[in-house]
Amino acid sequence: MSKGCELHRDGDWAVLRVWGEVDLSWSQDVRRQVLDAFAKVRALAVQLDAVSYIDSSGIAALVEGFQHARGKGGRFALLAPSEPVRAVLELARLDRVFPIYADLEAARAA
Amino acid sequence: MSAPALLCIEFAARAEALAEVRAAVQRALSAQGLSARELAQLVLAIDEACANIIRHAYGDCGEGRIRLRIERRRGRLRFRLRDHAPPVDPGCVRARSPDACRPGGLGIHIIDETMDSWRLRPLKRHCGNVLTMMRHLHARTAP
Repeated sequence: MSKGCELHRDGDWAVLRVWGEVDLSWSQDVRRQVLDAFAKVRALAVQLDAVSYIDSSGIAALVEGFQHARGKGGRFALLAPSEPVRAVLELARLDRVFPIYADLEAARAA
Repeated sequence: MSAPALLCIEFAARAEALAEVRAAVQRALSAQGLSARELAQLVLAIDEACANIIRHAYGDCGEGRIRLRIERRRGRLRFRLRDHAPPVDPGCVRARSPDACRPGGLGIHIIDETMDSWRLRPLKRHCGNVLTMMRHLHARTAP
């Protein structure tokens, strides 16, 4: 499938794997999955290594997750963002705002 | 007289059309001597402008059309987006503060960072708006 997202549990964390081009046409699905995950767990990592494109609506979904975690005393992390995602995070000056890790083990250990 | 267009397309003002628009912009700009990063950033900025028209000018109604024209003249790229939505007050179009970590306003920030200038003009005599964005082709230095 060319784009999508899938949530799975890994211990006390949930991992949302996202792939393909994240744009306005379905970024609301990503946002919903991010917020739904926080109904089940207090720690969410979004895996972004297979995201080939992301626009501001996709970034906004991640910002909401980050803010939700911060407001509720939970944890939120981005895992292995691809180069296109990194470029947009830098452009938005959010690369130093989000906790970014290579993998879930690194996020857990932080 | 206007320069020959690198791209002139019209498409439905729907989010589902954006992937095809990005591909068309990518093809049109690929021979303009831009680095891969510059090209990706320009494609993103145009996508953001289209998304803003769809969401805010047309109010996500799923109807309406957008026309995109890209020209190269005198060492500059000119991007013109024409819609037929109700007039938008340019004073209401603002980027979020670069230091504010909140979801909204990021699209305008991306356009600000990518383009040398842009202007949104509501059409008084006809329904719609024209967004014109300019970008020099010479190498840019980091701010």
